[in-house]
Formats: sequence, structure tokens, C-alpha cells
Amino acid sequence: MIKTEDLRTAVSGALKQIKKQKDVIDAEVFASWNDLITIRLNYTSDIPCNGIHEPKSIQSYGLGILATFKRGNRVETGFGSVTNDLTKEGVLDALEKAKRNRVYDPDFKTLPEPAGKPALTNYHDKRVMEISGSDSVDLGWKALNGALKTLHDGGHNKTIIIGGDVTILRERMAIKTTKGIDDFDETTSLTANITAMIENKNVKGTGWSMDTHFATFKPGEAGREAAESAMRTIGGRRIKSGKHNVIFGNQPLTDIASNVLVPSLDLSSVNSSNTPFLGKLGQEIASRNLNIYDDGSIKGETGSKKITCEGVPTGRTDLVMNGRLVGFLSDNYFSKKFKNNLYNPISRNGFRYSAGGRDYKNKPGISPTNVIIEGNRETTRDSLLKQVNNGVYIGRVWYTYAINGLAMGDFTSTIIADSFLIKDGKIASPLKPNTIRINTNINHILNNIIGITKKKRSTLVWGSREVMIAPEIAVSNVQLDNITGFLA
Amino acid sequence: MKPRIEILDTLREHIFKTVSTYYKSLSDCKYVDVRLGISEFKSATSENGESKDVTDDYDASFGIRVIAGEMSSWGFYGQSLGKNDLKIKEITTLIIKGINTSYERAMANAEKKQEFKKSADSLTEVRLAKIKVCQDTVPADFEIDPRKVSLQKVLKTCVDASRQMKELDPSVHYAATGIRTGITRELFCSSEGANIDQTLPLTQGVVYVSAQKGESSPEVCYDYVGDLKGWEIIEGKNCYNSSFLDFALERTRDTIELSGAEFLKTGKGEVIVVTDPHFNTLLVHEIVGHPTESDRILKMETAYAGRSWLFKNMDENQVGKRIASPLVNAFSDPTVMGYGYYKYDAEGTPAKRIEVIKNGILNTFLNGRENAATLEQEPNGSMRATASSMVPIVRMTNTAFGPGKKDPKKIIKEVKDGYYIVSHRIPSISESRENFRISAKKVYKIENGKLVKLYRGGGIMANSKEFLMSIDAVGNDFKMYPIPNCGKGQPMQVMRVGNGGPTLRGKARLAGC
Repeated sequence: MIKTEDLRTAVSGALKQIKKQKDVIDAEVFASWNDLITIRLNYTSDIPCNGIHEPKSIQSYGLGILATFKRGNRVETGFGSVTNDLTKEGVLDALEKAKRNRVYDPDFKTLPEPAGKPALTNYHDKRVMEISGSDSVDLGWKALNGALKTLHDGGHNKTIIIGGDVTILRERMAIKTTKGIDDFDETTSLTANITAMIENKNVKGTGWSMDTHFATFKPGEAGREAAESAMRTIGGRRIKSGKHNVIFGNQPLTDIASNVLVPSLDLSSVNSSNTPFLGKLGQEIASRNLNIYDDGSIKGETGSKKITCEGVPTGRTDLVMNGRLVGFLSDNYFSKKFKNNLYNPISRNGFRYSAGGRDYKNKPGISPTNVIIEGNRETTRDSLLKQVNNGVYIGRVWYTYAINGLAMGDFTSTIIADSFLIKDGKIASPLKPNTIRINTNINHILNNIIGITKKKRSTLVWGSREVMIAPEIAVSNVQLDNITGFLA
Repeated sequence: MKPRIEILDTLREHIFKTVSTYYKSLSDCKYVDVRLGISEFKSATSENGESKDVTDDYDASFGIRVIAGEMSSWGFYGQSLGKNDLKIKEITTLIIKGINTSYERAMANAEKKQEFKKSADSLTEVRLAKIKVCQDTVPADFEIDPRKVSLQKVLKTCVDASRQMKELDPSVHYAATGIRTGITRELFCSSEGANIDQTLPLTQGVVYVSAQKGESSPEVCYDYVGDLKGWEIIEGKNCYNSSFLDFALERTRDTIELSGAEFLKTGKGEVIVVTDPHFNTLLVHEIVGHPTESDRILKMETAYAGRSWLFKNMDENQVGKRIASPLVNAFSDPTVMGYGYYKYDAEGTPAKRIEVIKNGILNTFLNGRENAATLEQEPNGSMRATASSMVPIVRMTNTAFGPGKKDPKKIIKEVKDGYYIVSHRIPSISESRENFRISAKKVYKIENGKLVKLYRGGGIMANSKEFLMSIDAVGNDFKMYPIPNCGKGQPMQVMRVGNGGPTLRGKARLAGC
């Protein structure tokens, strides 16, 4: 394990070395250590299994240099990195690569300038930083036990499937630049995403727990929640194809936001003309009840960071305010490219994420942190149910994709669990899983909002890194199509 | 000086010796394997005729699997490697440390499994089906060595293509290209005595274009060309028989044409659809490849990529049953060229062709050693990982619909009223792969055997079995295409696979905007 002090010493030493180079104009030195531990659950009551399939981890550390070089009248940029090496030789090696890899990119302006003080300090958990192999394995078994005990207590012993994972991410980074940025960050996060299924009843339930500290992390509760949700949806019914009023629960809203909405709200999508919101800055794109913003400085949220991977303090970036498009997520490169007299994007989302953490091998790109979706007139779930009156409560969807590309806004997904019919303003019978495909468009969702709950939940979906702080949202006239009749 | 893949010549026997001997010193340690890979690559990207990024670098990592404990369990550890680690003393120390970490996890896991066994009797010891333990060296096969292509040439090819794409028409808002060419060498050594050294080149180009006419939505296209070959891929020896520049310009012309086309409307009932080989590449990937992966069969992907409608349980499943028209065959074959090519999988199992669907009857599943043991099948060598530092999982190889005998022109000519679905775009599949919606780049209306009108924003949706059963014509125009970005696993692993097929004719519902 590499200490933060080692990373700080390395970036300071590196910058001293770089300043001796005559052809370097500016440089940004980023060093990081990451450890991603995954405890994967696989319990099947009727098939031989391991329970916890594979406790595993991927670890990496190293240093990356993004530098600008003078060549004639032009300024060229280059990036180079080294792995498992924070020595002077390593720095020179990375710098040599940056020189070798330099190009003239007219859209690159300058490296970021220092920008105020971070809101978050010392928000990681030392206990997670020092977690042992057996303690991490134990967290997986706690999640499994939470689900299994609940199902057994409910009288369900056969055709049970329990899957998902407990994931522990530990990150350390330091950054120093010729522009005066000199900072570091340490983060810890723990997530449990559990799925429980009683296959002969054709029901599936989802539970999750997310935290930054070991003491308050509850993987067993995530398992219990998944099992209870599965049991609650026994006896599901089909519905007819057509337009229905629906409530999207926390997970479906997160899935739609992570895969369709938020990718359309960043400047790289604007750059490639791949967003339905092209040319709509300042215009109304949604119900006036809706606000969306990104905030990486919320204490206790697993998407939070003290600083970005460009050394900029995290904070709030408004995207949609009172239904109006007011901003896009950005990193330093795109904020400077798109800056004009009317719009000055702030680069609060420049991160170097890869599967394993804040990756010294990557140049910065745009990533969301915690995305908050909220209403101006928020309500309770009961009130939302009354407003919908008759419709469908959607608790979990799967494989949400912008089926015709982000620019067109069309998306589709299937309802796989945790869902119910709404009758006379109340939750009625469960909806049979895997029998409905949603076929709609993001513009339809944004412009047909019936109501938004006050109660929100931090939610993460498979394959995404950002956290959605998601309410439940009711939308009118969503196209739902009945599928898979051949399995009925 | 960056490390070269030849450094493994020096390290190979030391790694093999360490793996063969060290595990014996660990109590109850039953199996160890190590994969250590190093790749050298060059890459470049360009937008609208401007250079954006170039890289000339290497990447190295290793991953270690251990089975240990009284009630045998897995433990895994992976990490990145730097230049200084690729020395005999240093790598030996790191591998021993990695084995110890994996072993500690496996032992802790085994202890807990034993404890839980009282309340969960399906918990069992890890068993690996037996394979032929191999020692082999597999050299790379290419015409133009990726390592001998200059970085400037890679960049210039990208810049020229994106500039010409942008200049093709004023409706082109954005044109981007990327090329990566390199070579990867990976060692696989196991405590059973496997000592395999495989080297594979990879060359891939990607194009991205956005075009807009008037107030309509921009039409966006991205597509890939690539294979496990050298720079000759970029010069035209690829599945399109087209240079990267011509491929890029062709995609741009298509996008310009589509940006002015009418949007397809969603249909109410089934219609006759003729699907071309490029569309069937994604179709076979989603409705044949994925649902026949044995980890889905055994419900191990329930929380992530889903289960499979082909297998309810050991007694109720579709093996040996008709799931498609008798005209339909499908196979998975890592021994032929394509993105899923290899001689040994990531467990050291020799690669072989699998007949997945034979004359419409489901035959078998893709597996690895553990799943093969559970399903009491022969291991068929379908385990791969994105990088050596990641755990291997069951993956498609070159998985495709088999060729038929019919001329594809005749397949269209016979249609009085239908649609021709051309080139895949984006898929959305239901949880057990029993239903799909897949979008196409182009949809043509067929009237009296002729293509009469082009639509954009369309595709098809259907229940998988009903579509497969409806197929009444299979073309003789078999093609295999690269799919570079198949996501699976936790943490997510993005894998390249080969998929393909011939022209097919069946019935599905139109899915539009």
C-alpha cells in the first residue's frame, strides 16, 4: 500500500524535475494508488455453488504527467505515465513519454488554475483503508446471510438465487502543477448491491447499501431488503400494451439517468453533436417542477471527492433548473473550449476514472459525481400514487439504452423486478417480471412529469460510477409493451 | 527504453517454477494459476482533421487465482506492473506476494463456506473439470508488424480520414477517428504444470460521425474495423475489404444520406424482415451467444447480465429441443480468425469449435472448467479476461449463425411486402434474453422484391424464440465482424468478440421513433 505522503513527495519531486526542462511550458503531475476489492455473491439453492464466489482485487499505483511543450509558434500537449514507480527515473520516463506523445491540438487552451478551497476534508475511513482480507470476505457473507435468512424465515428454501456483490474502493491521489495547484485526496467507499430471487415464483428483489465508513455500512440489510422485495412481488400479473401512467422508483430513475439523461448533459456529448439538448442551453427542456444538479462535495455520499483529478475543488453544477437547461458537466479541456461571452462552464467534473479507481494512466475526462434529481414541489409517495390513480409502479429496470443513439433521445428497457400495478391510488397486485418493455423518449419523460417525491435514495447501477440521489417520479402516458408471451 | 514483449523469454521459466513449487508450501492450497501479460501498442485519435491524442506505450499486469481451504474456495489478486517489476527477482517477489493474498482470501472464504454449509446445503467445494495440461508457445500472426508502424503514420491515417469525412458535406457536424495497433503476449502457468505462451496482435480503427440536416435530430454513426492482425487491417485486409479511409468515408456517406431520411414508425404487428449479416452480428451476439454462456445458465449473472431462458433447471431446459427453424445453425469457434480467436483460453484449455445450435436444435453451452464440472460437460475453453489482472469469465469467441445456401438477392426478391434491416446499431435485451429490441443503421421498405424507401431511427423487436422459429431463408453470404465492446462481469470487463452470420429472413415487429 502506498501512503498519501509518498504520492505528495513524488509529485513535488516530479515538478522540480520538470521545471528544469527548457521546452516544457506547463505541467500537471498526478500520482495515485487504488485498490478495488470485489466480493461476489453466487448462491443457488438447487445448483452446487460457492456462496461467495470469488473474493478478488485489482491494485495499481503510478504517476502521470500532462505537459505543454513549445515547438516553434505552437503549443503542443503530451501525456505519459509510469506504473509502480515514483522515483526520479520514473518521472523522467513519464516525461519522455509525454514528449514522445505530444500533438498540436488547437482546442487545448491551458491547464487549470487554482480555484478556491475544497469543502470536504478528511472524509475517508482509516478502517476501510486498512481492511483485512478476512474482514472483506466477511462483508460478503453478511450480505448473503441477510438475504438467505430472510427467505428461509419466509418459508422459501428452494429455487433461491442470491447474487450481487460487496465492493470496497480505496483511492489515494496527489496532484501538483506549474499553475499552482498542490493538493491531495483520500477516499473510501463501500457498496452492497444484492439481488434475491425465488425462481419458481418468478420473483426478483433488489437491495442496496452504500457508505463511506465501515461502521455504518450494512451489507446484511441490503440482503434482507432484496429478499423482502422478492417475497412481496409473488403472484405478479401481466398488463396490456399501451400508454400508462407510471411511477419510476429510485433504481429505474437512476438507470435512465445514468444511461440516457446524464450522458446527454456533458460537454463531450455537445462536442460530438450527440445529445438531444444540442442548442438548447437556456431553453425549457423539462417540466418546471424539475431540477437536476451534480455535487461532488456532499459529505457521506460515495460519489463525493474533495478535489477533481485536475485538482479543482468539487462543488455544485446546476444542469436543469425549473425545467430550464442551465449547464453541462465539464472538465478543464471542454470548459475552456466552450467558454464564450454567454456561457462559462466550470470544470468540476474532470476525473481519470477507470474500473479500478482514479487512474494515473488516464488523461482527465468528464464524469459525474453525485447527481441530485429534485422537484420544486415535492410530495410523498402516497400523494404520488393518488395523482397517478391507475398505472404502474416500476421498481427495477434492466438494460436501459438510448436505442437510436443519445441524440434522438429514444430509449428502451425491460421491467425485471420490484414492480406493482397501481389501482385507485394505491399499490395493488405485483407486476409479473420480464413481461414489459418500456419504449419511450427522454424528452417525453422530462415533459410529462406528474410529481416528484421528497424522499430520495442514493443509488448506483451496474457499470456506472456516479451516484444518483434519486426520488421517485411519476410520468404520464409512457409506452409499455407486453412481451415474452411464449413463456407465459 | 520501454519493455518489449520479448522480456517474457527471460521471465517465463522463473514464473513457471515459482507457480509449480511455491503453492506446495501453503497448507490446503489445491490449485494456483498465474497469467502475466504485456502489450506494446500505438494509438491515435483525431477530430475534424485535427490531431487530439497519440500514445506509444506498453501495459503489463498479472492475475493470480488460488483454490484453497478444507472446503475448497477461490481467491484472486491482480495488479498492474511497471518496467522495474519485469525483472526476475522483482517479479518472483510480487507473484509470491500475490499468491499469498489470494490464498488468504481463499482460506477465509473456505472457512465461512464451511460455517454456512449447515444452513445452505448447496454450498460445495470448487471442482475443476479435467483438461489436457499443455505446454506450448503460440507466436503472433501478422503481415505488417504493429511495432514497426511509426506513431506519425498512425496519427496521419487518423487525421486524413477525419478531415476527409468532415469535408464530405456541410451537414457533417463532427467527424472523429481512432486507431490502435499493437501486440499482446500472455503467459499462463498453473500448478498442474501448464506453461502456455500466446502472442496476439490487435489492430482496430473506429469512426464516429454526426450529420444534421435542417432542424431534424443529428444522425450519429460509429463503427469499427479490426481483427487480431497487424497494420494490414488498416490498409484493407479486413472484413470489409476496404482501407480505413474508404471505410470511414463510406460510413460518412451513409450518415449524410440517413440524416435526410424519414423516421421509421413503430409497427403494430409482425412483418416480414430480411436482416443483413452486419445486423445479424449483433443479433446472434445477444440472442444466441449470451444466453448460451454457462455462467448465465447456472444463474451466476442474475444480478448483472441476467439469466438464460434456455435453462430453468437441470430437468427443465431447452438442450436437445427445437428453439429455431431447422434452417438455423449457430456455432462458437475460437480457432477461426476474428476477435474471438485464440489457441488456449485463460484457463489453458485448448480452443475448439462448438456447435451451439444444429438444425434448429439447442446443442450445448459455452463453459469454463468449473462450470463444466457443475454441468457435467466437457470443458470447451471459453474463459477470457479483458486484462491479465482481471478474473477470467465465460465469453463468446467467434460466435455466429452458420451459412445457408440461398442467394441473398433472391431472399429479398421473394418478399412482396416487408423490410430490409441493414447494419446493427444498439441492443436492448430482456433479462433472460427471451425478448430483444435492436436498432439498425438503415431500414428499407421492400415492395414486390425491390427496395423502395430508406428510413432512419428504426429496428426490430421480437421474442427471441419466435423470431428464430420464423426464419424461412438463410443466405450464402456469411460474414464475421468485430464487436469490440461487450460488457460483462463485476467489475465490468469490456471484451472483444467476433460475431456474424449470413442474411436471414424472418418475422418481427418494427421498432421506430
